Amino acid sequence: MKRWLIRSAVTLGLLLVGVMLTVWMLWIPSAVEPPYRFIQAWGERGTNPGQFNDPTGIAVTADEVFVSDSRNGRIQVFDHEGRFKRQFGSPGDKPGQLGRPMNLSIHENMLYIADYWNDRIQVFGLDGKYHHSIGSSGDGPGQFNSPGGVALNRKGELFVADFYNQRIQHLNADGSFVEQWGTTAEIGIWAEEFNYPTDVALGNDEQLLVADGYNDRIQVFDSSGKFRRKWGGPLAMNIFGPFPGWFATVTSVAVGPDDNVFVADFYNNRVQKYDSQGRFLTAFGRRGNGPGQFAYITAVAVAPDGTLFATDLGNNRVVSFRSPRKPQ
Amino acid sequence: MRALFFTLLLTMTWSPVTQAAETLYEIRVDGLACPYCAYGIEKKFMQRGIVKTFDMDFKKGLVKVTLKDGEEMTEPQLKQLFDEAGFSYRSVNKKAL
Repeated sequence: MKRWLIRSAVTLGLLLVGVMLTVWMLWIPSAVEPPYRFIQAWGERGTNPGQFNDPTGIAVTADEVFVSDSRNGRIQVFDHEGRFKRQFGSPGDKPGQLGRPMNLSIHENMLYIADYWNDRIQVFGLDGKYHHSIGSSGDGPGQFNSPGGVALNRKGELFVADFYNQRIQHLNADGSFVEQWGTTAEIGIWAEEFNYPTDVALGNDEQLLVADGYNDRIQVFDSSGKFRRKWGGPLAMNIFGPFPGWFATVTSVAVGPDDNVFVADFYNNRVQKYDSQGRFLTAFGRRGNGPGQFAYITAVAVAPDGTLFATDLGNNRVVSFRSPRKPQ
Repeated sequence: MRALFFTLLLTMTWSPVTQAAETLYEIRVDGLACPYCAYGIEKKFMQRGIVKTFDMDFKKGLVKVTLKDGEEMTEPQLKQLFDEAGFSYRSVNKKAL
């Protein structure tokens, strides 16, 4: 009896080690690049210019940084060194007003804002002048239930992460419906299904990247709309974790100038970087309020020179990083 | 006349409107740190048009809501609201203010 017990325990132990080794080898990749270096951080909690109350979205141009200052219902604009330049928008639901602005996108000198409470995409000039609005509340074609992020292709067509409708919508520039991925208001963990999608981005070859928020993964579709790949933890199907290549709620995705993919890994307080095929490259950031640390990272954006900017929700600040491989 | 005056005064001061005390609802929820979830809950509350104040403590996973005078939410109503926002709330604690 004793011998049998020992044999069973040894077998079980070996099995466990085998499973752990398999998981490690298959789903815990090693970094192939050094982590990015912290450059600077700016901001604190408040309502004055340069202060934030829940920064949740970010977009950058060659010389400016646009930040969704969500609870303050405004967009703040800074230079790359964090010097305040201007602000626009106010809390509310009228045209040009903002109800919890989330992820941002810039296309042809226009700023596209996912207006989460008002179920619309609002479009402003980069100077802050209100231009027009796309969409309305609902679950029909071209309607939204809390849009989290938006991206535009070269033709000016929109791709919208429609958070509570559990889908990604593809719309013409005028907001008319083209197609959707996911079944409206149905959560799923398989490919082409979503679990509260938060953001979208387009790669240089116009492949569509979806931050599939609570599925803890990125899903990729090619320019014809066909599913291509997914990544994030074992089988990329809602298994979260702190390991490299795993996520714990994805809140933002951005594409850099070299077509690399950057992901805001919310609960893991870090940015993860991948190549366009989903190969893990590096990760940086950890929990805290010191340099290069986050109290929940919400959004990422990459400047044309490769500098990465991120919003740090709990510390109410913007943080910038640069690859040690890039000069400057 | 004096009796009528006091009767009127008593009626006014004891009317249901002046009697209605505000109630603070402290609701415990998991995963509140994500702004998508937090704003979703806030949006659902605001859509009901009965919220006077709304506050969230991300770290404690606590939603604090006071409703307008005379308004009330039952536990099933709260459960439904949190379900719609994609949450299962853990508990609610009502406090008269």
